[in-house]
Amino acid sequence: MTTAFLLLLLAVGAYLVAVIEAWTSSGRFRLAAPAFAALALLGRESIVPRKSDRVFFETAPVLLLISALLAAAVIPLTPDLIITDLATGALFINAALVYVLVALLMAGWGPNGAYAMVGGWRFLGQLIAYAMLIVMPITAVVMRAESLLTTQIVVSQAGLWNIVYQPLGFILFFVASMALAFLPPFDLTTAKGELAGGVEAEYSGARLAVFRLGRLVLIITLAAATVVFYLGGWQGPWLPPWAWSAIKILAVTATMLLAGRYMPRIRETDLLGWCWMLGIPLALLNILLVGVLVLVLP
Amino acid sequence: MIIGARPGKPSKLRRLIAAAMARDLTTFIIPGPEIVRSYGLDIDATGLKPVASPRHASVLLVAGVTSSALRDAAAVIYAQMMRPRALFALGAGELSPLPPADVIAGLSQQGLIQGVRQLRDAFAEGAFRPDVSDFDAPILHVRIEYTCPMHPEVVQNAPGACPKCGMNLVPREVQADSEYLHTAQHKAGSSTDIPLTPRPGQSDHHGINHDAAVEYTCPMHPEVIQSEPGSCPKCGMYLVPRDAQVESSHDHHDHAHSQEHEHHKMDHDAAIEYTCPMHPEVIQSEPGSCPKCGMNLEPRKTQDIQTHEHADMDSATDHGSMDHSGMDHGDMVFMSMVDVTKDLPRSSDGLPMEWIDAPFGPFFPGLPGGLLLTLTLDGDTVAGSDARPLTDNLDLSQHPPTDSTSFVRQLAGMDPLAPVAYRLLAYRALENAAGLDVPAGTAAARIGAMERERITSHLGWLSLFGQQSGFNWLMQHAASLQLAFLHADVTQAMALKPVMQALIKRLQRTPLLKSRTAGIGRLTADTALRGPVARASGVNNDARSTETACTTLGFTPVSREGGDALARLHVHLDEISHSLVLIEAAGAIELPVLADIGDVSGAGETMVETPRGMARLQLTLERGQVIAAQLETPSTHHITLIDSLTEQQSLGDALMAVGSLDLSPWEVRQ
Repeated sequence: MTTAFLLLLLAVGAYLVAVIEAWTSSGRFRLAAPAFAALALLGRESIVPRKSDRVFFETAPVLLLISALLAAAVIPLTPDLIITDLATGALFINAALVYVLVALLMAGWGPNGAYAMVGGWRFLGQLIAYAMLIVMPITAVVMRAESLLTTQIVVSQAGLWNIVYQPLGFILFFVASMALAFLPPFDLTTAKGELAGGVEAEYSGARLAVFRLGRLVLIITLAAATVVFYLGGWQGPWLPPWAWSAIKILAVTATMLLAGRYMPRIRETDLLGWCWMLGIPLALLNILLVGVLVLVLP
Repeated sequence: MIIGARPGKPSKLRRLIAAAMARDLTTFIIPGPEIVRSYGLDIDATGLKPVASPRHASVLLVAGVTSSALRDAAAVIYAQMMRPRALFALGAGELSPLPPADVIAGLSQQGLIQGVRQLRDAFAEGAFRPDVSDFDAPILHVRIEYTCPMHPEVVQNAPGACPKCGMNLVPREVQADSEYLHTAQHKAGSSTDIPLTPRPGQSDHHGINHDAAVEYTCPMHPEVIQSEPGSCPKCGMYLVPRDAQVESSHDHHDHAHSQEHEHHKMDHDAAIEYTCPMHPEVIQSEPGSCPKCGMNLEPRKTQDIQTHEHADMDSATDHGSMDHSGMDHGDMVFMSMVDVTKDLPRSSDGLPMEWIDAPFGPFFPGLPGGLLLTLTLDGDTVAGSDARPLTDNLDLSQHPPTDSTSFVRQLAGMDPLAPVAYRLLAYRALENAAGLDVPAGTAAARIGAMERERITSHLGWLSLFGQQSGFNWLMQHAASLQLAFLHADVTQAMALKPVMQALIKRLQRTPLLKSRTAGIGRLTADTALRGPVARASGVNNDARSTETACTTLGFTPVSREGGDALARLHVHLDEISHSLVLIEAAGAIELPVLADIGDVSGAGETMVETPRGMARLQLTLERGQVIAAQLETPSTHHITLIDSLTEQQSLGDALMAVGSLDLSPWEVRQ
């Protein structure tokens, strides 16, 4: 029951992400636009390119969706509203999202086209950049909560949200999630002006619809994870817990979507260089600082 | 009704979907968004959504008259679009080989708006039809040719072995009647069918099976031969077809070919003996470990003893040389990567990879429309490039005598990105040849018009830059400003000044912009450079410096040091600011019609600083008729720089470098 309800919420969330995305990119707020776009996609032909690797081509969009759904399973919207409160929840999110890379590589390789291929390679490079910056900030969050339970992580922020307790970790995690969700300015893998859509370029019709749905669910899942790890989850005054979760998740989503609109796409070499030479030392520093704080503060 | 409807009976559900499609029309723009805007068309206002890949587009919009090469490329795009698809022609004239347009309208904003309305109706009513015929065009026909995976220069019509390395040639598709190998494949704006790895689907396509004696083999493991397509049991690669009889032709004993060795192995598979990789003198007929060092013995064939011992006697280095790789220690199954890749072209990092030719253009989002850029990609590094315009370029050398009015019309219609500059160039050359003087007021108004065009052209370039670099705000904002400036008078232009300044200010503090552009496409100061490209390299080369009409209005050339994409961006921004100052000083924006030059004869030469740099025109008049003319344009030289600018750059940087040149394919002189 909870699962069905949460899946429904996730669908609504994904829809709202689509509305916000259209709004941030075109400046027009139209509630019905994604519904028309989705119907139009379903009505269009969906072909498998000649000489494609059919298994990879067909699997990739579904795998992207499943990977995002799996990660969403351990995210609590209220103390009770969670699909499964795994004892290893915080790590499970990371484990589930690893398949995003696999899905995008398959989508890059599958259609046997140059643009998609380069897009896939680029995401492989991107993984090397963002992966550590997802795990290491989570480590610091877990240190404070002294638990991998996502519900426990929210409870641990009752006095002070992690965004204040470990702002460095928040910034790193936020940027790394944007890179993981290949949102601009980290959209190297889809890069409209460089690769004509990259891994998305050859998909059409229903398959493209699944791919885009997977991406939307991925975005909202990462926004929800940011809320759970850093923004105190469902906690907040006056309003009921679910409302706080919804407001915070949508606000984080909007910030993620809006940020890329005002800057050019990052260069791949810069992304790799900065993540390794700046991001990882900062993430280590964050773990050290949180460790000291955990020991010093009561 | 639309010609490219999707086959199917219009059921209730389909009608609902068709209604949704009508409200969500995506479009692929030909020749390009910046050119369509220069015609004064505002696509965004109509609600059509431009997309980057033809696979995602439902409407193909063709604006203005296009060359036959561009129409061929457009036919490929149309074929790549998913049904239901519609063709929308705006003042396009001849369309073949494209199908007849579903909606035809004039080249105006009103025509655009009406056309989109008609398109929506057409989609709502006729997105699904039971009787739909396929689209076909000569450009879509392919034939199969065979090439070596290691030696791309080896190309032949029949399957066989590579004369250089003996590997089996792999099939690939090329356009049936093409003289160029690579342009043939340009599925512009979308992915190509260049086989990165030969796939099984290929073999049952277009009759590769014409020969009964086709068998399938692995490019890496020639000993794997079977009669059915499939994957190699050893490495999983897809098997490639080959002719059975070809094998006999290279049965000579050339030990450079490991393939050859493998045949020996096949022939004499029975006799296997075991030896130590470290101690070749240890040989026994049973597997086991070496009595000297304890290593596991490895199997090898008895026949190889000769070769082996010979190698041993020579020297250790010879022993490990390519000739014997895969032979010596009995590791027959594994073909050395050194051997496989030794003839591959090398990248700068020394890592050999398969190179692929990928077309970028002629309608690639983020590159100037009409420019076909083919990049040879080595991973995502550019190993080579080829750039050519696919536009119809005005040929002035073979020109019948023309009267001045049609000469001006021809020149002004040459480049949709700079019609005013070329019209003015024609005016000035004619006036110069006829010995006419221009009143100061007219000269100032002309400068106003020129500078306004410079602003719109630079804004179009900025929008393209924004599109390419994924900077959406810039792409949209510059595009709407381009449209606002296009027909602005002096007052309107001055009213837009604060908006323009805010844009420039914002760009100065945009994160990532500097790291995205600094050091990219660096050009050293060279007098052959023109326009903003030259001035970004510190070359103070501006035809306006020599015009008194300009200098009296307060013109000073803008220049920057650096010569990279960042400097070019800044020069473009500075020039926009400076052009606004000049417009204000000129006080008028007008391009008066040419005075009657009369029945004069004479020669004239003049130059104009177009938005892309100095263009020079020489012409000869004979009794009022232009009998000879010679034109020199900035993009002609700039397009030749692409090769050196993209060489060994990563794909993103290479595209940025090409984009920063602000080329206009229309003005390239061949």
